[in-house]
Amino acid sequence: MLPVGEARARVSGMRAGGSAATVLELLFPGDSEMARRMRAHDWDGSALGDPAGWPASLRTACRICLTSRFPMIVWWGPELSFLYNDAYLPLLGSKHPALGKPGEQVWAEIWPIIGPMLDSVLSTGQATWSEDLLLPMNRHGYWEETYWTYSYSPLHDDAGTVRGVFTAVSETTERVIGERRLTVLHDLGARAGHARSVAEACELVAAALGRAGADVPLAAVYLRDDATGELVLAASSPLGAQPAPRTGGPGGWPLDEAIALGQPVRVTDVRARFGDLPAGGWSASPAQAVVLPLAFETGGPAGVLVAAASAGRALDEAYESFLTLVGQQTAALVTGAVAYQAQQRRAEELAELDRAKTVFFSNVSHEFRTPLSLITGPLEELRAALPDPGAAVARELDVIDRNAQRLSKLVNTLLDFSRLEAGRMQPRFEAADLAALTAELASSFRSAMDRAGLAFEVDCPPLPEPVYVDPELWEKVVLNLLSNALKFTFQGSVRVGVRVSGDQAVTEVADTGTGIPAAELPRLFERFHRVATARARSHEGSGIGLALAAELVALHGGEITAASTEGAGTVFTVTLPLGRSPGRVAAGPAPARGLGATRAYVQEAERWLPGGESAWPVDAGEPAGPAGPAGPAARDGARVLLADDNADMREYLQRLLDPEYQVQAVADGQAALDQARARPPDLVISDVMMPGRDGLSLVVALRADPVTAGVPVMLLSARAGQESVIEGLDAGADEYLVKPFAAAELRARVRGILRLAQVRGAHARWRTAMIDSMQEAFFVADQSGAIVEVNSAFTRLLGYGPGDLPYTPAQPWPPHLSTEPARPARHRDGRLVWIAASISQATDPQTGQRMTVGTLRDVTAEHYVGQRQTAVAAMGVLLSEAETVPEAVTGTIWEIREIWHARQVLAVTWDDTGEPALAAAGPARAWDDLPEAARDAISALRAGPRLRPATSGPGAVGIALEHPGGLLALWAELDPDRPFASEDEALLTQLCGYLVQALHRIHQSGQQREAALALQRAILGPAELPPGFAARYEPATRPLEVGGDWYDIIDLPDGRTGLVVGDCVGHGLAAATVMGQVRSAGRALLLRETSPARALAALDQFAAQIPGAACSTVFCGILDPATGRLVYSSAGHPPAIVAAADGGITLLEDGRSASLAVAEDLARSDAECVLPGRSTLLLYTDGLVERRRQPLDEGIMRAAAAVQAGRSALAADLAGQLMAGLAPAGGYEDDAALLLYRHPVPLELTFPADAAQLAPARRALRHWLTQCGLATRTIQDVLVAAGEACANAVEHGARHGASAPVRLAATATATDLRLTVTDGGQWREPAPGATAYRGHGIPFMRAVMTRVAIAPGQNGTVVNMELRISS
Amino acid sequence: MTTDLTFSAGQRPDGTPVLAVTGEIDMSNAGQFGSALAGALPERGRLAVDLTGVGYLDTSGLAQLFRHAQRIEVTVGDMLATVVTISGLADLTTVTRATA
Repeated sequence: MLPVGEARARVSGMRAGGSAATVLELLFPGDSEMARRMRAHDWDGSALGDPAGWPASLRTACRICLTSRFPMIVWWGPELSFLYNDAYLPLLGSKHPALGKPGEQVWAEIWPIIGPMLDSVLSTGQATWSEDLLLPMNRHGYWEETYWTYSYSPLHDDAGTVRGVFTAVSETTERVIGERRLTVLHDLGARAGHARSVAEACELVAAALGRAGADVPLAAVYLRDDATGELVLAASSPLGAQPAPRTGGPGGWPLDEAIALGQPVRVTDVRARFGDLPAGGWSASPAQAVVLPLAFETGGPAGVLVAAASAGRALDEAYESFLTLVGQQTAALVTGAVAYQAQQRRAEELAELDRAKTVFFSNVSHEFRTPLSLITGPLEELRAALPDPGAAVARELDVIDRNAQRLSKLVNTLLDFSRLEAGRMQPRFEAADLAALTAELASSFRSAMDRAGLAFEVDCPPLPEPVYVDPELWEKVVLNLLSNALKFTFQGSVRVGVRVSGDQAVTEVADTGTGIPAAELPRLFERFHRVATARARSHEGSGIGLALAAELVALHGGEITAASTEGAGTVFTVTLPLGRSPGRVAAGPAPARGLGATRAYVQEAERWLPGGESAWPVDAGEPAGPAGPAGPAARDGARVLLADDNADMREYLQRLLDPEYQVQAVADGQAALDQARARPPDLVISDVMMPGRDGLSLVVALRADPVTAGVPVMLLSARAGQESVIEGLDAGADEYLVKPFAAAELRARVRGILRLAQVRGAHARWRTAMIDSMQEAFFVADQSGAIVEVNSAFTRLLGYGPGDLPYTPAQPWPPHLSTEPARPARHRDGRLVWIAASISQATDPQTGQRMTVGTLRDVTAEHYVGQRQTAVAAMGVLLSEAETVPEAVTGTIWEIREIWHARQVLAVTWDDTGEPALAAAGPARAWDDLPEAARDAISALRAGPRLRPATSGPGAVGIALEHPGGLLALWAELDPDRPFASEDEALLTQLCGYLVQALHRIHQSGQQREAALALQRAILGPAELPPGFAARYEPATRPLEVGGDWYDIIDLPDGRTGLVVGDCVGHGLAAATVMGQVRSAGRALLLRETSPARALAALDQFAAQIPGAACSTVFCGILDPATGRLVYSSAGHPPAIVAAADGGITLLEDGRSASLAVAEDLARSDAECVLPGRSTLLLYTDGLVERRRQPLDEGIMRAAAAVQAGRSALAADLAGQLMAGLAPAGGYEDDAALLLYRHPVPLELTFPADAAQLAPARRALRHWLTQCGLATRTIQDVLVAAGEACANAVEHGARHGASAPVRLAATATATDLRLTVTDGGQWREPAPGATAYRGHGIPFMRAVMTRVAIAPGQNGTVVNMELRISS
Repeated sequence: MTTDLTFSAGQRPDGTPVLAVTGEIDMSNAGQFGSALAGALPERGRLAVDLTGVGYLDTSGLAQLFRHAQRIEVTVGDMLATVVTISGLADLTTVTRATA
């Protein structure tokens, strides 16, 4: 391009003597189409007239236009006549030829936009532009999406009036499209970790791509269906797009082919296959597509992403690699979702399995109970109806009874299990005499053992301390072990022993039986596991007895073990802690305990023996009450309660009735009333005259109580006479017998009353039996609200039995007699249960009282299930939002604390040395604050299995799980009132499963982020710069840390330093990859070549090989820091700036040549300068100085001024100031890099504390000060001050042993010197009154330096001195 | 090892003995400097100490000069001007500036 003035000169020259053709040749040079057209144009007929008369500026513009390869237009004159070049032809399309036509006519359709812009240029003379304008263009055989930036500059005529507009056009397609694609990838990447399912992941991808129609007009994710093995459409964009292959076409997408190949397949006949597809806003339907196999890491389904390419862009390498990246992002999203799902499924399956099992047990047991009570009830009726059934029938009845009992025992055991599982088994621990209790239980087996011919040894000496057990549960443990021993022992002995070992009570049941194979021992206590090969007395059994025993022992905080030798026998050992309770000790009286369970066990065992008959009366009702052992019951089964204060009379009556009835005798009226309420008998026989409550008052009380109102009462009295009889009958007695009476009469009357009562009471008894067999708790309350009747389920639910009835409304437990879905109530033992009540009103037909009848259902489990579901949801939200590992862990422990109302929850991790680190939701602060038991329990988790809750004693639970840093143990100190059931364990496992998943996700994305940063930093440049240098870098594309710009500092031989600052075309990731290569090459070449120019020449050859590297600009220099000599060469790069100490500015403009690889055999030359002392050198890229609508020169001068102004700042500070100070208002639009050097390099000297070292140190300092360009006088002053400080330092160092060296550091800015002398000794204050020369030279320092600061310290003294340099 | 320092003795035309010192004086050789001074002092009258050849003099060297301040007169070059002025030696004895 010729400078304007020169062109004008030549044209004028030609006008004088050249021919018209030559003139035209000069005006419209070249052989381009437009040059030819212009030469041939009939200008005289146009508004522009004869070119010879054109103003110089128009002629110049026209020449520039024709010789440029950029599209250009010249608009001239009032009509804005249209002149353009060849490069503009594709943009003009079919409007060509339009030479000389009025602009408005040429561009009619966009005139509303560009017309005003052109007018504005004409009227104001100000340039303007329009940026990134989309122009569909057919320049490569298809209509292409292209973007252009137009600039409009004024053209003046010779008089200086604006007459025309010059328009240069530059293409911005690559940048616009590149940015858009980067946005798509960011958008996809931002969705990582969000999807909970594969479908959701696919939808996320589709949704993200739905916004990227311009780049991916059609996308479809196909996943392999596990069931059919076929690839099924999982999601598509635009939403719901599912193009069908054309009939007769080449077929659909080559999905299987892509999977088989394992690499992308390019489809070029898309239109033939599908016809028109969504075009993503472009005018033509996609013609090409890429089918990308999706590689999942975690064994998810095989999948394929189909991505159509916009018809507006050629599917070139860049486009295909973009689509491949989309495929990789998609695969990553699906992989994340698959992993998430798998984890979740596992946790849910575990929880579901456990829940199902518990529900099954519970249901089965309850379902059996009702029919069982309907067998045993009528059986008793039948026995009553057939007092003498005959041997055959009696045997059958016995068989029915025995089997019902057996079934009942099994059902009860199963129920025990389900109660254990649901956490409803609440042991009532009491301090028991374990030896006596065990011996008593053992004695019940004695007769069975005798009959089996086994020696039975019971060795239970008293223990020194009580053992806390629930007697009922302990009974089950012992009976199971005994029955087991009997079952498997055919000869020899069974031994039961109780003894003390350390702080444990040890109970052993040893037999000489068949023994257990060693292989079976580990599974002995597993539920339903039966030792298959064992020879036994019976094959009955469910395999749950030992399992139950083990669970019950565990509930006691004890342990059960078995040792066995096959053929020799087995020893079961139960250890229980001595003298401390594993749980809450029962308050209040123990509930009545019967021998029902014992009877069932012994009966069952006896049936295994020869003869098979039980020594126990099979038809006996269960004797009740702590008042004393009951006599053997009669076959009739009727229960008679006898109250008489005379012991002889009691014995006599008992003897009379014993053969026929089950008699319980008590000594007074109150005892009789208590017993009757606890368990209403069939008949009460009471003396009238008794101390305390007498017979009459007993009758009144019995009648007043709905439970006992129907019990027949016979009064015995020594008082004869009609009045007494009437009084007794008035009170409600059924019979009144006057002593003395005949035995036969008594028996006849009893029989009569019972028969009558049986008829009368059958209904009532059935009612009682049915109510008792109800699974729901049942109660009746009277008008006052007092509860007057309850069933056994009620007692189980709330702990209040019939014995203490009535319960007045003042009770602290369920007081509200209203129907409610769920409300909390307090069990008698203090724990909270949730109940749903159903209440109705009824009138008592006897009394006319309005009674309240209610049933209560235990909904504790449901209540907590609801709570848990909420908890799971809350955890899900919490974990999906957590971005760091500690955040997820802390959130989880607080959530766990909330769910279980735990006192505190701890999260413990261990570092490599085994040192624990603690996070707490609760009061704990440090590991050492924890009680030892807790520390032990938590440490034990490390060795245990992962994701399995471990309860360490009651009231605490722990769980271990995988953590990015190794192992994480969670430990919760629970609310003692809340049982921690197996459902809780399942929930905890599930929550922790989520946590593991979340930790994995967080950790992985953190690692990816770090890896990406590390990679970027690796290509960016040295992170640590040598002293004296400072650098800053600001990429245009966030969050990238790299771009097309770079800086580099290279250590060269002979102490020289290579300096490079460069700028590759563009910014963002694509430019960064090119930059990384060019930077590395530049580094290597500087080490090899002898001068910057030679290095740049070699770099030219390198850049020619790398796509995108051509046109990079580089400033390359080699600095000798010792002399300040800088040799440099620039490849099209803006000049470096040198700001001298006195404020003078030099631009290093020599040694310039073209950008890298723009032409072959470019001549490159070196230039040279010497950096004066305390001057500042700034190398930078144009991003730092470039501003829109401003010449680059202005930017450079602005930067130079900023360096000049900051020459008093330290290099590192100045770099930050420049980067911040030069930034445009909206931040840097392009990558910006800068590299600063302040000459000379700061001095850094370290020498031993030896006086002989002072002279060399002074020499080095003098040399450096000379480098700083200081006046001789100033140098001498500084030398004196520094010399004194160093001499003092040597003195100190020597005084404190020669170990500590002396350090002298010096830095210079344009206006200041800073010196620091550091020693390892202690500063000695000058003695008061000391003369100047003894004052260690401090006055000298103060006299010559601007500021002196002495900081004595423990480990040495630091002297800081500053000198302001006068210019 | 000590910092290099050389001495040469002479006499002025008026008979005043002269001790000319060349080198740098710091704590490593101040003692040596002091001995040389003491040795060169005449029994009567003053000693002229010529320090124009000394490029550096610190407080330990000054201390030696102060010790004999009453009996010496000192000649210094530009390099030591500041030290001699600040130390106050010029107030106690005759200090002559030799300009190069």
